[in-house]
Amino acid sequence: MKKLAITSIVLIVALLGITSYFALAVAPTEATMGDVQRIFYYHVSSGWVGMLCFFVNFVASIVYLWKRSAASDALAEASAEVGVVFCGVLLLLGTLWAKPVWGIWWTWDARLTTTLVLWLIYVSYLVLRRFSAGGQTQVLAAAFAIFGFADVPIVYMSIRWFRTQHPSPVIGGGAGSGMAPAIWHVFLLTLVAFTILGAVFVWLRYKLATQEQALESAHAQAALKGVA
Amino acid sequence: MSSIAFLKLAYTAAWIIYLGYLARILLRMKTVEAEREELERTTAKSAAALKHPVS
Repeated sequence: MKKLAITSIVLIVALLGITSYFALAVAPTEATMGDVQRIFYYHVSSGWVGMLCFFVNFVASIVYLWKRSAASDALAEASAEVGVVFCGVLLLLGTLWAKPVWGIWWTWDARLTTTLVLWLIYVSYLVLRRFSAGGQTQVLAAAFAIFGFADVPIVYMSIRWFRTQHPSPVIGGGAGSGMAPAIWHVFLLTLVAFTILGAVFVWLRYKLATQEQALESAHAQAALKGVA
Repeated sequence: MSSIAFLKLAYTAAWIIYLGYLARILLRMKTVEAEREELERTTAKSAAALKHPVS
């Protein structure tokens, strides 16, 4: 346990440290927005990991409904919680970037609203798992997650389908989109580092979920024997 | 507030949230482990008591 704690702390601090160094000290200053544009590296990378986690949750929920395996349920729980944390950072950093650039903290445009709804869907999913009583909690949660995932492609397409305050896509956005190579390189590094960061969090949270499942079944067995 | 202040605030907030979340997971792991050890101890004691009841 001690070894695991030290390793994960060192790894996560190193990943955050390297990405912060490259984003704040190595990446060039963007011409229009200036230094505040550097929020972009953490904002987009957190969003990417959040969406990836929700995708993992979607697949794990389908597998759970199909196989009813405890491992897939633990993975679904872990990825949803990590996704909520990363999506929360995405929203928070978005507001901290919007204020100096747009002059407002928040606007109800399609991208921001669908992202907030997505975050609320997965918060509800976690609340359902935490407080639902009875033996069908996992099944209900899995079904909820499958429908909830429908918002992810809507979030992605919102800046293509609607006119929004949020900028048009920088990657794959057609003519006029794209980034300067120096910004692109730092962005790619941050994206890879955040993907590893997300994977570490999901792995740790998955480990915790399986430990909790084992404890729960040990309690149930002890109760059957009349011990606890 | 200057734009640099927003930049600093954004990175500080991200660090706090990620490290805070890591601390939460690790502390919960420690609690679950302690609960499991406690349950094992109780189970072993009860099993021994059932084998050798004190009259």
